[in-house]
This record gives sequence, structure tokens and C-alpha cells, in this order.
Amino acid sequence: MHGIKRSRLSAQAEEAKRIKEQAKIEAYVGLQDDVLARKRSKDYTTEALKKTTDLLDLNPEFYTIWNYRRHIFLRGLFPNTNLQGIVKLLSTDLRLTMAYLQVHPKVYWIWNHRKWCLENCPDGPEGTEGWKNEFWKMELLVVEKLLDSDARNFHAWAYRRYILASLPKSYTPQRSAQDELRYTRKKIESNFSNFSAWHCRTKILAGVWEGLSEAQVQSQKDQEFELVRQALWTDPEDQSGWLYHRWLIGSQPPEPTLRRELESIKELNEAEPDSKWCLNALAHYLLLFAGSPWTETEEADNARKEAKEILRRLAEIDSDRKERYQDLGKPPQVIRAVLMILSFSTIIKLC
Amino acid sequence: MASSSTIAPKLDIDLHVKYIQNLDKKKDYTYHLTEHLRLNGVYWGLTALWIMGRQDALDREEMIKYVLSCWDEVAGTFGAHPGHDGHILGTLSGIQILIMQDAIDRVDVDRITKFLLARVAPNGSVSGDEFGESDTRFSYIMASALSLLGRLDDLDALYDGKGRDLVVQNIVDSMNFDGAFGTEPGAESHGGQVWVAVGALALLDRLHMVDNELLGWWLSERQLPNGGLNGRPEKLEDVCYSWWDLASLSIIGKIRWINGDKLINFILDAQDLEDGGIADRKGDWVDVFHTVFGVAGLSLLGYPGLQDIDPLYCMPADIIEKRGLKKPYFARPRMEQYPESS
Repeated sequence: MHGIKRSRLSAQAEEAKRIKEQAKIEAYVGLQDDVLARKRSKDYTTEALKKTTDLLDLNPEFYTIWNYRRHIFLRGLFPNTNLQGIVKLLSTDLRLTMAYLQVHPKVYWIWNHRKWCLENCPDGPEGTEGWKNEFWKMELLVVEKLLDSDARNFHAWAYRRYILASLPKSYTPQRSAQDELRYTRKKIESNFSNFSAWHCRTKILAGVWEGLSEAQVQSQKDQEFELVRQALWTDPEDQSGWLYHRWLIGSQPPEPTLRRELESIKELNEAEPDSKWCLNALAHYLLLFAGSPWTETEEADNARKEAKEILRRLAEIDSDRKERYQDLGKPPQVIRAVLMILSFSTIIKLC
Repeated sequence: MASSSTIAPKLDIDLHVKYIQNLDKKKDYTYHLTEHLRLNGVYWGLTALWIMGRQDALDREEMIKYVLSCWDEVAGTFGAHPGHDGHILGTLSGIQILIMQDAIDRVDVDRITKFLLARVAPNGSVSGDEFGESDTRFSYIMASALSLLGRLDDLDALYDGKGRDLVVQNIVDSMNFDGAFGTEPGAESHGGQVWVAVGALALLDRLHMVDNELLGWWLSERQLPNGGLNGRPEKLEDVCYSWWDLASLSIIGKIRWINGDKLINFILDAQDLEDGGIADRKGDWVDVFHTVFGVAGLSLLGYPGLQDIDPLYCMPADIIEKRGLKKPYFARPRMEQYPESS
């Protein structure tokens, strides 16, 4: 049970509740026994389907009943109808699961069944993909609606990915990566804290950039830096923008980019000297700077010193994670391992 | 170490044991609606009891009989409850309970192995049942179940000897730039998925594919100022992440990277001190799911008087060790008392 406040009932109220629930329980158990008996006897009729609806209305998490429902379709109803009939049956289930999702947007089994409906939509009518196109069009609307009511629902984001990846070939208007970039941007701009949308952006852009020249990628990255800068300045304590920024920087940023971003974060740090996330980013980027092949020894040493000082500060202002900052302030593990090997070989030589 | 301003109550073991013993007695409407979690619930209850050193508080023979009654002869594995379809979720719970009760010889291990191996798709993703929904949760379950059954070699034999590598690759493809993992390739990082991914990679001897520093950073940032852990950036804390996030930190050797005492206090505060059990957070309704992951987290954090838990299996450490399945991990040393010094 998540997020439901505990409340105490008096013994009397508890008893009243129990009696009131009794009829509900009896009806539920009666229905459940009936449906499971039908399942055992391989009843794949319309009547059985109706019973599964009644039961799922009460309990959409009963996965066995979803399985049974699919068997009723596959073994009883689909073989006895035409393609049009199949589409009609699947439409009913899309409507049904839509209603359930509005109340239970995080139940895996409901999302699964919806996917199954799409996967079983036949081609047609008459050699077209008309039915599929209708279904997918609806799904895009549905998933946007669900992301409007909870922009962090990872089931809905997964479903969106699935819908877009499986669009029928003849689907119009054609969807491009740019559409998704626009969508995630809209989500981000309405709430910079929506990390789900930032995450999604990392995936879309990684795909887009695969086909571009280095200069083109850099120019797009610069636009992204601009976007994330707005988020960082709006709320420097929100993790979402910082994570995205770290993704943009990556492990081997070009010199001008890293220098520019370090400057920009230093500026923010001056405005917000106690921002932990700002300091955290500074320490990480300074160490990255110090380790870059193009950094002069003296600059690298200074950056390391500066990072060490920031890590020391972080251990104070963010003391819950002080052990991490202390670890980062130590020489890198590789160096330690090399030192250990060296000292071993010295010992061996001495022997 | 800084702890929260108010002193947290102690872990009330007697009360939680009573709560678990009573779970099957209060047959209200919710009890009936949650049948699809029943076998998982028995595993959660038994594991919680074991951590608290009270594994005999539930009747062994009755429990084994119940597990065996969940067998689905068509699927050749366990369902969530008698009459429910076989599924990989119930399968692991059934195996875990039988191992803990030393009764795994009472089930058809060959058939379960066959069911588990049939879940592995050619792309290395793992499905929950014949309808094919796949998720890195199921990759973990498959690895954990096969390991407990001593049948990981059968995974190696799949797909011309590539079975293990395919499964590993699918998990690694679910890793994001932040070092953490999602439900499938492309999905956002999530604390629960981190544990299943890291756990599965550890069980499959591929832990080196995890970037410990990066993932350790992401995991350590799950701790909120109130001590609780969340599952994703900018989300609410929840006791269950005291397992998912913490066990992952333990497996990658970074358990020191969060404030353990603050987390202990957060879990202790989520106890129901009238009727027992632990909730997702202070003041909410309790359930057996949060109860087990609360006490399991406390065990990894070295809370006094608890039994050790293995973070790869979420099972008693001595049982895992006895079966020769122990792999490296780092837990906080067991304290003599809490708080350690006044």
C-alpha cells in the first residue's frame, strides 16, 4: 500500500465495517469461483467473456483472468468471427482498459493487455492498414492524456516508446524524432523537474546524432546546453537538470565546451554559493578537466586542488554523502592499484 | 554521525512477528483482492521472520503444502495462489520458500527449469509467462531461480552456448548514462530495476559491467534529507527502496555512501507500534511488502539483533552460504546496540 494514511477505527466501527464488507466479499468470491470454474472447463464463450469483465471491473490486477480472457478470444471468439468482428472485440478491450487505466495507471497487467490488443489487430480492411492506423492514432492520444495526469508515470512512457516504435508503415502524418523532441521539450518547459522527459530526450538525441557530422552534433548540443541552463538557474537544487547536463558533457567533452560550462557553473555558484548540486558538478567537471589530454600540467594541478577543496566543502554541507566525497578526494583507484603493485614488486626485489 | 532530531523507536520484533502471524486471519475485502500476491506475500512474511530470528513463527508443513498447492500443472511452475496461472513472479517466491524450508526436493525441479529457460527470448529479454511481457525484473528472477536450483549451467547451454551472454547483454542495454537501469532498453533508471539488474549481473558473474562509481553516485543521491530513499530523481521516499537502492549499494561496495543511521531512523519511524508491520513511510498503512524490505534494509545497515541477509538473493545469508552460493558484498557490521553510543 503506497501513500495511504493510517487511521484507527473504534472496535464498534470496525465491526460495522466488517459486516458491511461481508456481502461484498461473498459477491466477489462467488464471481471468482464461477470464472475460475469456467476457466477450468475451457468455457470460451461470450458469456464467459462477460463474466471476466465483471471480475476485472472489481480486480484488474487478477492476471490469471486477463490470461483467460485472451484465451477466450484466441480459442473461442476469434475463430468464430471475421476480421471486422475481431477488430470490434479488440476495440471493446481498448475501451475497457482505458477506463481501468484512469483509475489504476500503474498496473502492469492492464498495460500488457492493451499491448496484446494492438499486437492482435489484423491488417485491413481490404489490403489497407486502416484498422491499425485507427488504433495507433487513438493510442497516441491515450498515452498523452495519461502523461498529462502523471508526467512521471514510467509505464506510460514505456508505452509511448512502444507505440512510436511500432507505428504501422502507412501511418500518417509520419512521426519523426523532431516530433518527440518537441513533445519532450514541451513537457520539460512545463516542469523542469520532469526527469522522465529529460531521460527520454537523451535517448532521442543519441539516435538523431548517430547520423550527423561532429559539427552538427556540437551545434545541437549547444542548444541543449542553453535549454538545461534555464533549468539549472531556475532551481539549482533540482537534480533533473544536473543529470541531463552531465549526460551532455559526457566523458570526453571538447575543450571549449568544458571550459565554457565550467565558467557558466562557476557563475551560478557565485550566485548560489551553498548549492550542493552546483558544487557537485563543479568538482566532477574540474576532475574531468584535470584528466583531459589537452590540459597543461599546471592547469590540471590547479583544477585538482580546486576540486579537492570543493569536495571537502561538500563533505560538510552534504554530510549524508560525506564518505563519497572523501573517496573522490583520494587518489584514483587505478593509481592506488598501481602503487600497490609497485610496492609488492619492491618487496619481492628486497627478498 | 548526525541523526534526526527526534529519537526513533526501537524495532518492535514481537509486534511485527504477531503482525505477520495474523496476516492470514483478517480476511477482509482487500485480502481477497490481493490473492495474486499471496505466494509472494508468504515469501515476504517468512523472510521478514527469518531476519528477525523467528523463522519458526509460522507452521512449516502448512506453508510447504500451500506452496505446492500453487503448482500450475499446465505451465509447469507456480502461480500466485491455487487456481492462478503459473508465472515467473510466483515461481521465484515458491522456490525461495522451499529453499528456506529445506524442502526443494518436493518439487519437480526439471519442469521449473524448463519453464524458466523457455522465458528467455533470442534477444536475451526474459518474459513473465507465455504471453510474453518482458522486463529486467524477470531477467533477475530467472537468474536467481536457476541459481537457487543449481541449474545456471542450463542457461549457458541455451542458444548455442550464448544464453548467459544474451541475457547479460539485454540487461546492459537497459543501462543509462547515469549508470542506473530501467525496465528494458530505453527505459528511465529506477531504483527497483537497479537492484534486479545489478543482482542479476552479480549472479551471472558479470558485475564488472557495472560502473560502480557512477551508479554509486546515482544511488547515493536517492537519499532525501529525511533519511528515506526514493526510486527516481525528484520522487518521494519509500521504505521499499531501503531494500532496492541499499542492497544495490551493498553489492557494488558503496553502502557507506549514504547516511545509514538516518535511514535506520526513517525505517523505524515507519513502524506501526500498535498493530505491528512497517509502512512505506511514517503514518501510512502497513503491509508485509514494506515490512520485509524495511527489516531487510535494517539488517544490511547493521541494526542490532537481526540476522544477516544476502543482498543478491534477499534471503538469509547463512542459507545462501550453506548452499555454496555466496558472492562478495559489503554490509555494515552488526551493531551491539542502536544508537551505538549516547
